[in-house]
Amino acid sequence: MLKVIKQGVLCSIQDAGRHGYRHLGVGQSGALDPTALKLANLLVNNNINDPVIEITIGLAEFEFSASTNFSITGGDLRAKLNSSPLYPGWRYFAKPGDKLSFATNHSAQRAYLAIQGGFAIEELLNAKSTDIQAQFGGFSGRALIAGDELSFPCNKVALKHLGAKQPEYANEVRVLKGPHCDKLPKGAFEHFLQTEWLISEMHSRMGSRLTANQTIKHNATISSQAVHPGVVQLPPNGHPIVLLNDCQTTGGYPIIASVISADLRLFSQLGSKQKCKFSSVSVSQAHQAMNKLNSHLAQFALANNNNIEQ
Amino acid sequence: MIDPHCYLLGEQAIVFMLETDTPSTSEQRRLFTLTSKLMNIDAFFDVVPTKSSVTVYLKRPQDYQVWINQIIRLWDECELASFTPNRHRFEVTYGGQFGPDLTDLANSLSLSEHNIIELHTSVTYQVEFIGFLPGFGYLGTLPKALQVPRKSTPRTSVPKGSVAIAQELTAIYPSNSPGGWHLIGLCNTPLFDPTLKQPSLLLPGDQVQFIPAKDSVCSK
Repeated sequence: MLKVIKQGVLCSIQDAGRHGYRHLGVGQSGALDPTALKLANLLVNNNINDPVIEITIGLAEFEFSASTNFSITGGDLRAKLNSSPLYPGWRYFAKPGDKLSFATNHSAQRAYLAIQGGFAIEELLNAKSTDIQAQFGGFSGRALIAGDELSFPCNKVALKHLGAKQPEYANEVRVLKGPHCDKLPKGAFEHFLQTEWLISEMHSRMGSRLTANQTIKHNATISSQAVHPGVVQLPPNGHPIVLLNDCQTTGGYPIIASVISADLRLFSQLGSKQKCKFSSVSVSQAHQAMNKLNSHLAQFALANNNNIEQ
Repeated sequence: MIDPHCYLLGEQAIVFMLETDTPSTSEQRRLFTLTSKLMNIDAFFDVVPTKSSVTVYLKRPQDYQVWINQIIRLWDECELASFTPNRHRFEVTYGGQFGPDLTDLANSLSLSEHNIIELHTSVTYQVEFIGFLPGFGYLGTLPKALQVPRKSTPRTSVPKGSVAIAQELTAIYPSNSPGGWHLIGLCNTPLFDPTLKQPSLLLPGDQVQFIPAKDSVCSK
Protein backbone atom coordinates (compact mmCIF):
# COMPACT_ATOMS: atom_id res chain seq x y z
CA MET A 1 0.00 0.00 0.00
CA LEU A 2 0.94 3.61 -0.50
CA LYS A 3 -0.66 5.66 2.25
CA VAL A 4 -1.36 9.36 1.82
CA ILE A 5 -0.03 11.12 4.94
CA LYS A 6 -0.40 14.71 3.65
CA GLN A 7 -2.64 15.36 0.67
CA GLY A 8 -0.89 18.59 -0.36
CA VAL A 9 -2.52 21.02 -2.76
CA LEU A 10 -3.83 18.55 -5.36
CA CYS A 11 -2.75 14.97 -5.94
CA SER A 12 -4.76 12.80 -8.31
CA ILE A 13 -4.54 9.54 -10.22
CA GLN A 14 -4.03 10.23 -13.94
CA ASP A 15 -3.16 8.23 -17.04
CA ALA A 16 -3.12 9.20 -20.72
CA GLY A 17 -6.72 10.42 -20.50
CA ARG A 18 -10.20 9.48 -21.59
CA HIS A 19 -11.23 9.28 -25.24
CA GLY A 20 -14.37 8.16 -27.06
CA TYR A 21 -16.95 9.92 -24.88
CA ARG A 22 -16.50 13.60 -25.72
CA HIS A 23 -19.90 13.64 -27.48
CA LEU A 24 -21.48 12.84 -24.08
CA GLY A 25 -19.75 15.77 -22.40
CA VAL A 26 -17.02 13.61 -20.86
CA GLY A 27 -13.72 15.51 -20.84
CA GLN A 28 -10.25 14.15 -21.44
CA SER A 29 -8.67 14.40 -17.96
CA GLY A 30 -5.24 12.69 -17.82
CA ALA A 31 -1.71 13.81 -16.97
CA LEU A 32 -1.02 17.42 -17.99
CA ASP A 33 2.45 16.26 -19.04
CA PRO A 34 2.00 13.03 -21.04
CA THR A 35 5.75 12.76 -21.65
CA ALA A 36 6.46 12.81 -17.91
CA LEU A 37 3.73 10.16 -17.42
CA LYS A 38 5.32 7.89 -20.04
CA LEU A 39 8.90 8.38 -18.79
CA ALA A 40 7.82 7.68 -15.21
CA ASN A 41 6.27 4.39 -16.35
CA LEU A 42 9.21 3.41 -18.57
CA LEU A 43 11.61 3.97 -15.66
CA VAL A 44 9.86 1.24 -13.63
CA ASN A 45 9.18 -1.08 -16.61
CA ASN A 46 5.42 -0.45 -16.58
CA ASN A 47 3.07 -0.13 -19.51
CA ILE A 48 3.66 3.34 -20.88
CA ASN A 49 0.20 4.71 -19.96
CA ASP A 50 -0.29 3.08 -16.54
CA PRO A 51 -1.89 5.39 -13.97
CA VAL A 52 0.46 7.55 -11.89
CA ILE A 53 -0.03 10.18 -9.21
CA GLU A 54 0.12 13.75 -10.48
CA ILE A 55 1.33 16.01 -7.67
CA THR A 56 0.41 19.68 -8.08
CA ILE A 57 2.47 22.35 -6.24
CA GLY A 58 3.68 19.77 -3.68
CA LEU A 59 3.40 19.77 0.14
CA ALA A 60 2.37 16.13 -0.05
CA GLU A 61 3.67 13.09 1.82
CA PHE A 62 3.25 9.37 1.23
CA GLU A 63 4.29 6.27 3.21
CA PHE A 64 5.16 2.90 1.67
CA SER A 65 3.85 -0.14 3.53
CA ALA A 66 5.58 -2.56 1.13
CA SER A 67 8.85 -2.43 -0.76
CA THR A 68 8.85 -1.32 -4.37
CA ASN A 69 10.75 0.50 -7.09
CA PHE A 70 9.29 3.87 -7.96
CA SER A 71 10.13 6.81 -10.19
CA ILE A 72 9.51 10.53 -10.15
CA THR A 73 9.39 12.75 -13.23
CA GLY A 74 8.08 16.18 -14.23
CA GLY A 75 9.06 19.32 -12.34
CA ASP A 76 11.44 19.38 -9.37
CA LEU A 77 9.18 19.69 -6.31
CA ARG A 78 12.15 18.94 -4.01
CA ALA A 79 11.15 15.39 -3.23
CA LYS A 80 12.80 13.40 -0.47
CA LEU A 81 12.78 9.74 0.51
CA ASN A 82 13.01 10.02 4.30
CA SER A 83 15.80 12.61 4.43
CA SER A 84 17.56 11.90 1.12
CA PRO A 85 16.86 14.26 -1.77
CA LEU A 86 15.42 12.77 -4.98
CA TYR A 87 15.62 14.11 -8.52
CA PRO A 88 13.04 14.07 -11.30
CA GLY A 89 13.79 11.59 -14.08
CA TRP A 90 15.18 8.88 -11.75
CA ARG A 91 14.03 5.60 -10.30
CA TYR A 92 14.49 4.66 -6.66
CA PHE A 93 13.71 1.84 -4.23
CA ALA A 94 11.55 2.16 -1.13
CA LYS A 95 11.28 -0.18 1.86
CA PRO A 96 8.26 -0.62 4.15
CA GLY A 97 7.91 2.44 6.39
CA ASP A 98 9.83 4.78 4.05
CA LYS A 99 8.30 8.23 3.63
CA LEU A 100 8.24 10.09 0.33
CA SER A 101 7.66 13.83 0.65
CA PHE A 102 7.32 16.69 -1.81
CA ALA A 103 8.10 20.29 -0.79
CA THR A 104 7.48 23.18 -3.25
CA ASN A 105 9.52 25.06 -5.79
CA HIS A 106 8.50 28.40 -7.33
CA SER A 107 9.78 27.32 -10.76
CA ALA A 108 7.94 23.99 -10.91
CA GLN A 109 4.26 23.09 -10.59
CA ARG A 110 3.81 19.36 -11.12
CA ALA A 111 5.59 16.07 -10.50
CA TYR A 112 4.61 12.50 -11.36
CA LEU A 113 5.03 9.39 -9.23
CA ALA A 114 4.95 5.91 -10.78
CA ILE A 115 5.26 2.63 -8.95
CA GLN A 116 6.55 -0.62 -10.43
CA GLY A 117 3.58 -2.78 -11.46
CA GLY A 118 1.25 0.22 -11.33
CA PHE A 119 -1.50 1.26 -8.94
CA ALA A 120 -4.54 -1.04 -8.79
CA ILE A 121 -7.19 1.31 -10.24
CA GLU A 122 -10.40 0.28 -11.99
CA GLU A 123 -10.91 1.44 -15.56
CA LEU A 124 -14.01 3.59 -16.21
CA LEU A 125 -14.97 4.72 -19.72
CA ASN A 126 -11.67 3.59 -21.27
CA ALA A 127 -9.38 5.27 -18.73
CA LYS A 128 -8.11 5.24 -15.16
CA SER A 129 -7.81 9.02 -14.92
CA THR A 130 -9.70 10.95 -12.26
CA ASP A 131 -12.36 13.24 -13.74
CA ILE A 132 -12.22 15.75 -10.89
CA GLN A 133 -15.01 17.96 -12.30
CA ALA A 134 -17.50 15.14 -12.89
CA GLN A 135 -16.30 13.16 -9.84
CA PHE A 136 -15.67 9.73 -11.28
CA GLY A 137 -12.70 7.58 -12.28
CA GLY A 138 -9.26 7.33 -10.68
CA PHE A 139 -9.33 6.81 -6.91
CA SER A 140 -12.96 7.23 -5.69
CA GLY A 141 -13.59 9.91 -8.35
CA ARG A 142 -11.69 12.57 -6.45
CA ALA A 143 -8.32 14.05 -5.53
CA LEU A 144 -6.37 12.03 -2.95
CA ILE A 145 -6.86 12.91 0.72
CA ALA A 146 -4.89 12.07 3.85
CA GLY A 147 -5.64 8.51 4.94
CA ASP A 148 -6.22 7.11 1.43
CA GLU A 149 -4.41 3.83 0.76
CA LEU A 150 -3.48 2.84 -2.79
CA SER A 151 -2.70 -0.78 -3.62
CA PHE A 152 0.26 -1.82 -5.74
CA PRO A 153 2.12 -5.13 -6.22
CA CYS A 154 5.06 -5.59 -3.80
CA ASN A 155 8.53 -5.88 -5.40
CA LYS A 156 11.33 -6.95 -3.09
CA VAL A 157 14.17 -6.68 -5.61
CA ALA A 158 15.74 -3.24 -6.00
CA LEU A 159 16.35 -2.42 -9.66
CA LYS A 160 19.60 -0.77 -10.68
CA HIS A 161 19.70 3.01 -10.22
CA LEU A 162 18.46 4.48 -13.49
CA GLY A 163 17.73 7.95 -14.84
CA ALA A 164 16.17 9.31 -18.02
CA LYS A 165 16.79 12.65 -19.65
CA GLN A 166 13.59 14.66 -19.58
CA PRO A 167 12.81 17.01 -22.45
CA GLU A 168 13.35 20.60 -21.25
CA TYR A 169 10.55 22.78 -19.98
CA ALA A 170 10.36 26.28 -21.43
CA ASN A 171 8.02 29.27 -21.61
CA GLU A 172 8.21 29.70 -25.38
CA VAL A 173 5.17 27.90 -26.71
CA ARG A 174 4.48 27.03 -30.35
CA VAL A 175 0.96 27.50 -31.69
CA LEU A 176 -1.08 27.07 -34.86
CA LYS A 177 -3.18 30.04 -35.96
CA GLY A 178 -6.80 29.73 -34.77
CA PRO A 179 -9.86 29.53 -37.04
CA HIS A 180 -11.58 32.73 -35.83
CA CYS A 181 -8.79 35.29 -36.30
CA ASP A 182 -10.70 36.93 -39.17
CA LYS A 183 -13.63 37.62 -36.81
CA LEU A 184 -11.37 39.29 -34.22
CA PRO A 185 -10.01 42.86 -34.44
CA LYS A 186 -7.44 43.30 -37.24
CA GLY A 187 -3.97 42.13 -36.20
CA ALA A 188 -5.27 40.24 -33.14
CA PHE A 189 -3.19 37.11 -33.84
CA GLU A 190 -0.01 39.17 -34.43
CA HIS A 191 -0.71 41.05 -31.17
CA PHE A 192 -1.15 37.68 -29.44
CA LEU A 193 2.28 36.55 -30.74
CA GLN A 194 4.09 39.79 -29.87
CA THR A 195 2.76 40.04 -26.32
CA GLU A 196 4.65 38.73 -23.33
CA TRP A 197 1.84 37.08 -21.35
CA LEU A 198 1.71 36.35 -17.64
CA ILE A 199 -0.07 33.32 -16.22
CA SER A 200 -2.81 34.78 -13.98
CA GLU A 201 -3.96 33.47 -10.60
CA MET A 202 -6.69 31.64 -12.50
CA HIS A 203 -4.91 28.53 -13.62
CA SER A 204 -5.91 24.97 -12.91
CA ARG A 205 -6.17 21.62 -14.63
CA MET A 206 -9.08 23.12 -16.61
CA GLY A 207 -7.05 25.93 -18.15
CA SER A 208 -4.65 28.83 -17.71
CA ARG A 209 -5.93 32.37 -18.06
CA LEU A 210 -3.32 34.79 -19.39
CA THR A 211 -2.94 38.46 -18.68
CA ALA A 212 -0.93 41.40 -20.03
CA ASN A 213 -0.96 45.21 -19.94
CA GLN A 214 -2.63 45.35 -23.34
CA THR A 215 -5.19 42.62 -23.81
CA ILE A 216 -7.20 41.94 -27.00
CA LYS A 217 -10.75 43.10 -26.19
CA HIS A 218 -13.40 42.36 -28.79
CA ASN A 219 -17.11 41.70 -29.31
CA ALA A 220 -16.90 38.84 -31.81
CA THR A 221 -19.20 35.87 -31.30
CA ILE A 222 -19.13 32.33 -32.69
CA SER A 223 -21.48 29.34 -32.54
CA SER A 224 -20.62 26.75 -29.89
CA GLN A 225 -18.24 24.13 -31.18
CA ALA A 226 -16.15 21.30 -29.80
CA VAL A 227 -12.99 22.39 -27.93
CA HIS A 228 -10.15 20.37 -26.46
CA PRO A 229 -6.90 20.75 -24.49
CA GLY A 230 -4.56 23.14 -26.31
CA VAL A 231 -7.28 25.36 -27.76
CA VAL A 232 -6.66 29.04 -26.89
CA GLN A 233 -9.98 30.84 -26.44
CA LEU A 234 -10.30 34.61 -26.44
CA PRO A 235 -13.26 35.82 -24.35
CA PRO A 236 -14.49 39.40 -24.98
CA ASN A 237 -12.45 40.72 -21.99
CA GLY A 238 -9.30 40.01 -24.05
CA HIS A 239 -7.61 37.61 -21.61
CA PRO A 240 -6.76 34.41 -23.54
CA ILE A 241 -7.50 31.05 -21.91
CA VAL A 242 -5.31 28.05 -22.77
CA LEU A 243 -7.58 25.04 -22.28
CA LEU A 244 -6.00 22.11 -20.46
CA ASN A 245 -6.98 18.49 -19.80
CA ASP A 246 -9.99 19.08 -17.52
CA CYS A 247 -11.64 21.55 -19.91
CA GLN A 248 -15.22 21.24 -21.12
CA THR A 249 -15.96 19.51 -24.41
CA THR A 250 -17.65 22.49 -26.10
CA GLY A 251 -17.10 26.24 -25.97
CA GLY A 252 -18.49 29.43 -27.42
CA TYR A 253 -15.54 31.87 -27.34
CA PRO A 254 -13.56 32.67 -30.50
CA ILE A 255 -10.42 30.54 -30.88
CA ILE A 256 -7.31 32.63 -31.59
CA ALA A 257 -4.75 29.79 -31.60
CA SER A 258 -4.04 26.15 -30.68
CA VAL A 259 -0.97 25.10 -28.71
CA ILE A 260 0.77 22.31 -30.63
CA SER A 261 0.47 18.87 -28.99
CA ALA A 262 4.21 18.64 -28.33
CA ASP A 263 4.23 21.91 -26.34
CA LEU A 264 1.04 21.57 -24.31
CA ARG A 265 3.08 19.79 -21.60
CA LEU A 266 4.87 23.10 -20.92
CA PHE A 267 1.72 24.41 -19.21
CA SER A 268 2.06 21.66 -16.60
CA GLN A 269 4.92 23.71 -15.11
CA LEU A 270 3.73 27.30 -15.62
CA GLY A 271 2.33 28.83 -12.43
CA SER A 272 0.92 32.28 -11.61
CA LYS A 273 3.06 35.28 -12.54
CA GLN A 274 5.27 33.20 -14.81
CA LYS A 275 5.79 34.57 -18.29
CA CYS A 276 5.01 32.88 -21.56
CA LYS A 277 5.34 33.81 -25.19
CA PHE A 278 3.88 32.25 -28.32
CA SER A 279 5.32 31.64 -31.78
CA SER A 280 3.45 30.49 -34.85
CA VAL A 281 4.36 27.27 -36.70
CA SER A 282 2.90 25.23 -39.56
CA VAL A 283 0.94 21.99 -39.21
CA SER A 284 3.88 19.97 -40.55
CA GLN A 285 6.22 21.60 -38.03
CA ALA A 286 3.73 20.64 -35.30
CA HIS A 287 3.77 17.02 -36.51
CA GLN A 288 7.60 17.06 -36.58
CA ALA A 289 7.72 18.39 -33.00
CA MET A 290 5.47 15.55 -31.85
CA ASN A 291 7.57 12.97 -33.72
CA LYS A 292 10.67 14.33 -32.01
CA LEU A 293 9.09 13.99 -28.58
CA ASN A 294 7.91 10.44 -29.39
CA SER A 295 11.34 9.40 -30.64
CA HIS A 296 12.88 10.70 -27.41
CA LEU A 297 10.60 8.28 -25.53
CA ALA A 298 11.22 5.45 -28.01
CA GLN A 299 15.00 5.85 -27.67
CA PHE A 300 14.80 5.66 -23.92
CA ALA A 301 12.47 2.63 -24.06
CA LEU A 302 14.91 0.87 -26.40
CA ALA A 303 17.96 1.66 -24.26
CA ASN A 304 16.10 0.50 -21.17
CA ASN A 305 15.00 -2.79 -22.82
CA ASN A 306 18.59 -3.53 -23.85
CA ASN A 307 19.58 -2.81 -20.29
CA ILE A 308 17.08 -5.35 -18.93
CA GLU A 309 18.24 -8.07 -21.34
CA GLN A 310 21.91 -7.77 -20.39
CA MET B 1 -28.02 28.54 -47.59
CA ILE B 2 -24.34 29.44 -47.53
CA ASP B 3 -22.04 26.47 -48.06
CA PRO B 4 -20.76 24.85 -44.89
CA HIS B 5 -17.01 24.79 -44.37
CA CYS B 6 -14.48 22.47 -42.84
CA TYR B 7 -11.22 23.34 -41.10
CA LEU B 8 -8.43 21.84 -39.05
CA LEU B 9 -8.38 22.86 -35.35
CA GLY B 10 -5.07 22.07 -33.69
CA GLU B 11 -3.38 19.04 -35.24
CA GLN B 12 -6.02 16.37 -34.87
CA ALA B 13 -9.50 17.90 -34.93
CA ILE B 14 -11.51 18.69 -38.06
CA VAL B 15 -14.47 21.01 -37.53
CA PHE B 16 -17.40 20.92 -39.96
CA MET B 17 -19.38 24.14 -39.49
CA LEU B 18 -22.69 25.34 -40.93
CA GLU B 19 -22.63 29.06 -41.68
CA THR B 20 -25.48 29.77 -39.26
CA ASP B 21 -26.17 29.94 -35.51
CA THR B 22 -29.77 28.87 -36.06
CA PRO B 23 -29.90 25.91 -38.45
CA SER B 24 -33.33 25.04 -39.86
CA THR B 25 -34.99 21.79 -38.76
CA SER B 26 -33.94 20.09 -41.99
CA GLU B 27 -30.33 21.33 -41.71
CA GLN B 28 -30.19 20.09 -38.14
CA ARG B 29 -31.55 16.66 -39.12
CA ARG B 30 -29.00 16.49 -41.89
CA LEU B 31 -26.27 17.37 -39.37
CA PHE B 32 -27.43 14.56 -37.02
CA THR B 33 -27.35 12.19 -39.99
CA LEU B 34 -23.81 13.29 -40.84
CA THR B 35 -22.81 12.86 -37.17
CA SER B 36 -24.10 9.29 -37.03
CA LYS B 37 -22.27 8.47 -40.27
CA LEU B 38 -19.03 9.92 -38.89
CA MET B 39 -19.47 7.97 -35.63
CA ASN B 40 -19.28 4.73 -37.61
CA ILE B 41 -15.92 5.60 -39.17
CA ASP B 42 -12.95 3.95 -37.50
CA ALA B 43 -10.50 6.75 -38.36
CA PHE B 44 -11.83 8.99 -35.55
CA PHE B 45 -11.47 8.52 -31.79
CA ASP B 46 -14.17 11.08 -30.97
CA VAL B 47 -17.01 12.71 -32.88
CA VAL B 48 -18.53 15.76 -31.16
CA PRO B 49 -21.64 17.50 -32.52
CA THR B 50 -22.92 20.92 -31.44
CA LYS B 51 -25.97 22.83 -32.67
CA SER B 52 -24.41 23.91 -35.96
CA SER B 53 -21.16 21.91 -36.18
CA VAL B 54 -19.60 18.50 -35.83
CA THR B 55 -15.95 17.88 -34.94
CA VAL B 56 -14.00 14.67 -35.53
CA TYR B 57 -10.75 13.76 -33.78
CA LEU B 58 -8.31 11.93 -36.05
CA LYS B 59 -6.39 8.84 -35.02
CA ARG B 60 -3.86 9.69 -37.75
CA PRO B 61 -3.49 13.50 -37.80
CA GLN B 62 -1.34 13.41 -40.96
CA ASP B 63 -4.44 12.33 -42.96
CA TYR B 64 -6.31 15.56 -42.28
CA GLN B 65 -6.50 16.82 -45.87
CA VAL B 66 -8.14 13.62 -47.08
CA TRP B 67 -10.77 13.78 -44.35
CA ILE B 68 -11.58 17.47 -44.86
CA ASN B 69 -12.56 16.61 -48.43
CA GLN B 70 -14.30 13.40 -47.45
CA ILE B 71 -16.50 15.05 -44.78
CA ILE B 72 -17.73 17.69 -47.24
CA ARG B 73 -18.55 14.85 -49.68
CA LEU B 74 -20.44 12.94 -46.94
CA TRP B 75 -22.47 16.07 -46.14
CA ASP B 76 -23.43 16.45 -49.79
CA GLU B 77 -24.59 12.81 -49.85
CA CYS B 78 -26.60 12.96 -46.59
CA GLU B 79 -30.22 11.89 -46.96
CA LEU B 80 -32.65 13.77 -44.78
CA ALA B 81 -34.96 10.93 -43.83
CA SER B 82 -32.38 8.55 -42.39
CA PHE B 83 -32.33 10.01 -38.87
CA THR B 84 -34.83 8.68 -36.24
CA PRO B 85 -34.42 10.16 -32.75
CA ASN B 86 -35.07 8.42 -29.40
CA ARG B 87 -37.91 9.92 -27.33
CA HIS B 88 -37.89 10.54 -23.58
CA ARG B 89 -40.60 11.70 -21.16
CA PHE B 90 -39.40 13.10 -17.85
CA GLU B 91 -41.55 13.80 -14.81
CA VAL B 92 -40.59 17.10 -13.16
CA THR B 93 -41.56 18.43 -9.75
CA TYR B 94 -41.80 22.17 -10.36
CA GLY B 95 -41.49 25.05 -7.89
CA GLY B 96 -40.96 25.37 -4.14
CA GLN B 97 -37.69 23.93 -2.88
CA PHE B 98 -37.36 21.95 -6.15
CA GLY B 99 -37.42 25.03 -8.37
CA PRO B 100 -36.14 27.88 -6.21
CA ASP B 101 -36.16 30.43 -9.08
CA LEU B 102 -39.75 29.82 -10.24
CA THR B 103 -41.28 32.63 -8.16
CA ASP B 104 -38.71 35.24 -9.18
CA LEU B 105 -39.00 34.19 -12.83
CA ALA B 106 -42.78 34.54 -12.73
CA ASN B 107 -42.36 38.08 -11.42
CA SER B 108 -39.73 39.12 -13.95
CA LEU B 109 -41.58 37.55 -16.90
CA SER B 110 -45.00 38.84 -15.75
CA LEU B 111 -46.39 35.31 -15.93
CA SER B 112 -47.94 33.13 -13.23
CA GLU B 113 -45.91 30.17 -11.95
CA HIS B 114 -48.60 27.95 -13.44
CA ASN B 115 -48.16 29.63 -16.87
CA ILE B 116 -44.43 28.95 -16.76
CA ILE B 117 -45.02 25.25 -16.08
CA GLU B 118 -47.64 25.06 -18.83
CA LEU B 119 -45.31 26.72 -21.30
CA HIS B 120 -42.31 24.60 -20.29
CA THR B 121 -44.28 21.36 -20.73
CA SER B 122 -46.01 22.52 -23.94
CA VAL B 123 -43.22 21.68 -26.42
CA THR B 124 -41.10 18.73 -27.47
CA TYR B 125 -37.44 19.60 -27.11
CA GLN B 126 -34.48 18.26 -29.01
CA VAL B 127 -31.03 17.49 -27.55
CA GLU B 128 -29.08 19.98 -29.67
CA PHE B 129 -25.81 18.75 -28.21
CA ILE B 130 -24.20 17.53 -25.00
CA GLY B 131 -21.52 19.50 -23.20
CA PHE B 132 -20.62 21.40 -20.02
CA LEU B 133 -20.95 18.26 -17.86
CA PRO B 134 -21.12 14.54 -18.72
CA GLY B 135 -24.69 13.87 -19.85
CA PHE B 136 -25.73 17.56 -19.84
CA GLY B 137 -28.01 17.93 -22.88
CA TYR B 138 -28.72 21.39 -24.28
CA LEU B 139 -32.45 21.17 -25.08
CA GLY B 140 -34.03 23.53 -27.58
CA THR B 141 -36.05 25.40 -28.23
CA LEU B 142 -37.74 27.04 -25.26
CA PRO B 143 -41.01 28.95 -26.00
CA LYS B 144 -40.21 32.66 -26.65
CA ALA B 145 -42.14 33.79 -23.55
CA LEU B 146 -39.72 31.85 -21.31
CA GLN B 147 -36.47 33.06 -22.84
CA VAL B 148 -34.41 34.94 -20.23
CA PRO B 149 -30.69 35.70 -19.92
CA ARG B 150 -28.58 33.61 -17.53
CA LYS B 151 -28.46 34.70 -13.89
CA SER B 152 -25.97 37.53 -13.42
CA THR B 153 -24.32 35.66 -10.54
CA PRO B 154 -24.07 31.89 -11.04
CA ARG B 155 -24.85 29.56 -8.11
CA THR B 156 -21.79 27.82 -6.71
CA SER B 157 -23.82 24.65 -6.34
CA VAL B 158 -26.80 23.43 -8.35
CA PRO B 159 -28.30 20.11 -7.11
CA LYS B 160 -28.28 17.04 -9.36
CA GLY B 161 -31.56 16.68 -11.26
CA SER B 162 -32.35 20.41 -11.33
CA VAL B 163 -34.39 21.46 -14.36
CA ALA B 164 -33.23 24.83 -15.54
CA ILE B 165 -33.75 27.42 -18.28
CA ALA B 166 -31.56 30.14 -19.85
CA GLN B 167 -31.75 31.97 -23.16
CA GLU B 168 -33.51 29.71 -25.71
CA LEU B 169 -32.54 26.49 -23.91
CA THR B 170 -33.55 24.21 -21.08
CA ALA B 171 -31.58 21.40 -19.40
CA ILE B 172 -31.41 18.93 -16.53
CA TYR B 173 -28.22 19.00 -14.42
CA PRO B 174 -26.96 15.37 -14.44
CA SER B 175 -24.73 15.96 -11.38
CA ASN B 176 -24.11 18.59 -8.70
CA SER B 177 -22.23 21.49 -10.23
CA PRO B 178 -21.92 25.27 -10.27
CA GLY B 179 -24.39 26.81 -12.70
CA GLY B 180 -25.88 30.07 -13.93
CA TRP B 181 -29.29 28.92 -15.22
CA HIS B 182 -32.68 29.55 -13.56
CA LEU B 183 -33.89 26.53 -11.59
CA ILE B 184 -37.59 25.76 -12.03
CA GLY B 185 -37.95 22.11 -10.98
CA LEU B 186 -36.39 18.76 -10.20
CA CYS B 187 -36.28 15.51 -12.19
CA ASN B 188 -35.26 12.27 -10.49
CA THR B 189 -34.36 10.29 -13.62
CA PRO B 190 -30.62 9.43 -13.55
CA LEU B 191 -28.97 10.91 -16.65
CA PHE B 192 -25.35 9.81 -16.40
CA ASP B 193 -23.69 6.72 -14.95
CA PRO B 194 -20.02 6.14 -15.87
CA THR B 195 -20.26 2.44 -14.95
CA LEU B 196 -22.75 1.73 -17.75
CA LYS B 197 -21.82 0.75 -21.29
CA GLN B 198 -24.03 3.58 -22.55
CA PRO B 199 -23.31 6.09 -19.76
CA SER B 200 -25.55 8.93 -20.95
CA LEU B 201 -29.35 8.57 -21.18
CA LEU B 202 -29.56 11.49 -23.59
CA LEU B 203 -27.88 11.41 -26.98
CA PRO B 204 -27.50 14.23 -29.47
CA GLY B 205 -30.69 14.48 -31.54
CA ASP B 206 -32.99 12.80 -28.95
CA GLN B 207 -36.43 14.28 -28.26
CA VAL B 208 -37.54 15.21 -24.73
CA GLN B 209 -40.91 16.02 -23.19
CA PHE B 210 -41.52 17.21 -19.63
CA ILE B 211 -44.57 16.21 -17.58
CA PRO B 212 -45.48 18.08 -14.38
CA ALA B 213 -45.49 15.86 -11.25
CA LYS B 214 -48.56 16.03 -9.01
CA ASP B 215 -46.55 17.39 -6.08
CA SER B 216 -45.38 20.46 -8.03
CA VAL B 217 -45.65 23.64 -5.97
CA CYS B 218 -47.03 26.67 -7.77
CA SER B 219 -49.42 29.56 -7.52
CA LYS B 220 -52.01 29.88 -10.31
